Amino acid sequence: MTQNYLGLKIVEFTGELGPYTTKLFADLGADVIQLEPIGGNPLRRVGPFYRNEESMESSLQHLYYNAGKRSLVLDLEQSEGRALLKRLCTEADLMVESFAPGYLESLGLSYGELSGLNPQLVQASVTPYGQFGPLSGKEGSDITCAAIGGFLHLAGVGDDKPVRTPDNQAYRMAEAYAAVGSAIALYHARRTGQGQLVDVAAVEAVGMALENSAQYWDLEKIIRRGRGKEAGSCTVHPCKDGYIVIVAILGKNKSMWEPFLNWMQGEQVEEADLFEDERWIDPAYRVSSEAYENFCRVFERYTREHNKEYLYEIGQHYKVSVTPVSNGKDLLENPQLKYRNYWQERDNAVLGGKVVYPGAPYEFGEMKWEVGGNAPCYGEHTREVLVQLGYSDAQIEELNKAGVVYAS
Amino acid sequence: MRVEIKEALSGIRVCDFSWVGAGPIATNVLGQCGADVIKIESAKRPDLLRKGDPFKDGISDGLERSGYFANRNPNKMSIALNMSEPKAIEVATRLIRESDIVINNFRVGQMEKWGLGWDEVRRLNPRAIYVTMSLQGVTGPHRSYMGFGVNLNSLCGLTAQAAKEGEKPFGTGTNYTDHVMVPSHTIFAIMAALLHRELSGEGQTISVSQLESAIAMKPLDAMVWASNREILGPLGCCDRELAPHGVYESTEPGRWIALAVRDDVEWERLKRVMGEPEWALNRAYDSAAGRRANQRNLDAEIERWTVTHRVEELVVKLQGAGLCAAPVKDAREAVEDEHLNARGFHVYLDHPVVGKTLYNRAPIVFSETPLRMEKSAPLLGQDTEEILTGLLGYSEDELAKLRAEKVLI
Repeated sequence: MTQNYLGLKIVEFTGELGPYTTKLFADLGADVIQLEPIGGNPLRRVGPFYRNEESMESSLQHLYYNAGKRSLVLDLEQSEGRALLKRLCTEADLMVESFAPGYLESLGLSYGELSGLNPQLVQASVTPYGQFGPLSGKEGSDITCAAIGGFLHLAGVGDDKPVRTPDNQAYRMAEAYAAVGSAIALYHARRTGQGQLVDVAAVEAVGMALENSAQYWDLEKIIRRGRGKEAGSCTVHPCKDGYIVIVAILGKNKSMWEPFLNWMQGEQVEEADLFEDERWIDPAYRVSSEAYENFCRVFERYTREHNKEYLYEIGQHYKVSVTPVSNGKDLLENPQLKYRNYWQERDNAVLGGKVVYPGAPYEFGEMKWEVGGNAPCYGEHTREVLVQLGYSDAQIEELNKAGVVYAS
Repeated sequence: MRVEIKEALSGIRVCDFSWVGAGPIATNVLGQCGADVIKIESAKRPDLLRKGDPFKDGISDGLERSGYFANRNPNKMSIALNMSEPKAIEVATRLIRESDIVINNFRVGQMEKWGLGWDEVRRLNPRAIYVTMSLQGVTGPHRSYMGFGVNLNSLCGLTAQAAKEGEKPFGTGTNYTDHVMVPSHTIFAIMAALLHRELSGEGQTISVSQLESAIAMKPLDAMVWASNREILGPLGCCDRELAPHGVYESTEPGRWIALAVRDDVEWERLKRVMGEPEWALNRAYDSAAGRRANQRNLDAEIERWTVTHRVEELVVKLQGAGLCAAPVKDAREAVEDEHLNARGFHVYLDHPVVGKTLYNRAPIVFSETPLRMEKSAPLLGQDTEEILTGLLGYSEDELAKLRAEKVLI
């Protein structure tokens, strides 16, 4: 049994947007009950799937984001289902939901209603566009949030179409900030006895990822896009087995460039002396196409001869900020992550194998980050939670039969 | 008993040694929630971002014109403290005694060199929460490897997928990991430690590895390799599950519409909006699997339609039909966005040197403890006197002496 370090009880009703919020709490031992509609959390149907075998229990996202939680399946469209949600919220510290704004209100489950039963309750609502504002009632998805907020536009140069960041980052950002907002509101509730509603919109969360682009517009009336064409300054280069990224210089920082020059000369790269020219210290030169082409010609003639691991090690040996463009395989084989036992490996009897997923984002002195269990099967804990709430076996059977809950 | 506290973190004090990237963003959010954030800098060693572009009117003189610095540091106080002077350590020590959170993102060993490592800080203040940040953790063969946000993007696996088929990968175009993945995890960890302190009465350490916190927000590439022995390749603007999905050209060069069709019902809606063109009746497109398999053709056909419309027309038609569609906005359009402004996301704060400039608040709307966005980023050292003679109990004479000895610069 893992320790509940924060002493928190959490109820969650989310889908593709929302689960990372409560995972952050679950990994510190919080008791998270994930509510699912009849038919299951929609995330269960999103691929990719474990061993490419699609089932209710094999979505890799479900396995990761919902690990260590308990599953209770209930039908909010039935009054007994709504009563059960109220009952759970009466005992919870935090409720996290991602329904379309207005849906819970329409069922008589507004925050006002729930907090009437439990004034300390914190409710975090995490949605694409938030609880108010002109887009609040519109359909939104990860890409529309990234698009409206200005994040997507940065991922390209000139008039090129942008590229998308993987793993639905607009949703992930919203979830991370919903966890932050929830924790702050919980702290306030502990100190004052007062809960509150925390409204997090993915379209705002992406605003945290604009770097300096909004200020570029405000202060200099410049629309910037992505970095990537300034020679040696945040550029990507091909190598034997993929790509590497290098930051050999930023601004006019000559002390960064010298290690790079040492590296090139130390490795006796053909034409390395070209990099001795003082012009390379000037960003105005580096953004020219001549500079970019020269840089790529000389540097890539060398990088194409080597694999990314070699270039990473030798570049870092020379104190140059060079890194491999990692794929999933590289990450699992990464010696640093291996040394630190980062990857979690857990037997999953339902799937008949081991599931591997990322580990702790941070280490605490007094709390242990730990995943309490596998992601729950559909309705796995319905019965257990109802028993804890004091429902009798007969009552549970009745609710199960009426389709108010699903108990496996 | 009900205690009235207007701001969620009022009474919490942050002794902030962090600079440049993820650290200041984390303390920025704490400050907006009411914590007193005291930023320690020195003219001998200012926050590097004070020299980071853009600058008000493009003029980079001095240390007070950077918008990059400003947006990460509103509502903070600033002490000028030259930590290379031994007497500065005593000032820092007094401040740490009065703080709930002590945060730095120096290289490992710097705080210890000053006698301000966790062992010492714990003796000074056992309730302190002591936050350190490293690129790849403080143990292991790569613990002292170097890198910036773009390096982390590539190392953690984001860049490989943020790419177009057959081209060099691109990435986010920013130091993404520094801006969201690392600071949001850092703030969460700080809040978890504060919640834990309410139960235990004691502080503790938090150590954030930038690489490890980043990977936690993008699990799939490694999980897919471990389970299916497959590499997740370039994503373009597609989705691995949904089709059609992407950004499509309009009549305006460089202005695109983003569109996501999530199921068969939405596909039917899209067909109707496009006027049921002949090609769309192809049975291959009836199922999500079929649409994914024929994604390239499907996108080309859709683009033949979108490219005859202005972005605004497309938005009205597609959103009106209940579809997920939106313009791909640049920074100016995002700043001017009606929805974001109705939600008060952008704020202009007045600054003694550069006047009113643009900030954004944290992406959290609290119903009872609203965020505060009151003070622009601090001038270097603007609060030195107030903090030393007030909070830290230095006399005017002592203050003058420290100034004369160049401790407070």
